[in-house]
Amino acid sequence: MEQRTPTLRSVAWLWFGISVAVLVVGFRQAIFLTPTDAAQGNVGRIFYYHVPIAMLSLLFPYLNFAASLAYLYFRKRDPLKALTADAFALASAEVAVVYTSICLLTGMLWGRAAWGIWWAWDARLTSVLLLWLLYMSYLMLRSFSATGQSQTLAAVLSVFAAVDVPIVYMSIRWWRTQHPAPVFGGGPNSGMDKSMLPAFFWNLAGWAVWGIFILLFRFALERRRQLAEQEAALQAIEASLEIPR
Amino acid sequence: MTWQSLFDVSTMEHRHLLFAYAAVLLIQGGYVGWIAWNWSRVKGPRH
Repeated sequence: MEQRTPTLRSVAWLWFGISVAVLVVGFRQAIFLTPTDAAQGNVGRIFYYHVPIAMLSLLFPYLNFAASLAYLYFRKRDPLKALTADAFALASAEVAVVYTSICLLTGMLWGRAAWGIWWAWDARLTSVLLLWLLYMSYLMLRSFSATGQSQTLAAVLSVFAAVDVPIVYMSIRWWRTQHPAPVFGGGPNSGMDKSMLPAFFWNLAGWAVWGIFILLFRFALERRRQLAEQEAALQAIEASLEIPR
Repeated sequence: MTWQSLFDVSTMEHRHLLFAYAAVLLIQGGYVGWIAWNWSRVKGPRH
């Protein structure tokens, strides 16, 4: 532990630096180097942040789902492993909320300029809003629940919340409403122009490495908080066992 | 597009592009800043 901490800190700083560098390249590609979309104009450049972040926002709920299942499995068999799983579940839920919030916000800003409306109750928008509400309720349940069962209740909620993820993904394939058709894997007319690919993939890579960075940083913070609580509890027990002379 | 046209807020198209990029950077930066602030407040196990 004594030797690992400085190494982990160096790796974290290196990862942070790489994330920022890739995001700077992505920003430059999206704003300055990619030609303006003939149909949408400059507002079409929102696409380079909206789509990669929307795609990544569907990955973090699965991490939360896996960590919640691990928590439910270990909570009676190995409480220390369960605590680690719970810390990871909390971190992934928060990152899911961050990415889903950005997806909704950038989508609304684009929709107002492109469609003339902020919001439409179409299948994709509604299912993403539901996803956001589910993970917000997960975080609120953890924050406001006063019982010792809040971690278990949150893990059970997470298992059900994950059901919405495939619905979000399939919504623009099952129901063709207001939201644009899938960019990838949406049939013979899907895909994007070659000139758009560098900006798209640099931003996808940038927000992916950034997402991993904030996920692990938040996880490390939660583990640090858990260990500090354990230490404080042990000190309290030790103090209560001291016999006054 | 140039820096000047990025900060041109005369049309809704440009305003929303700027707001979208600024919002993304502020939300992500704010979240990592909040984690870092809490990190500095919670003592490590060896302290």
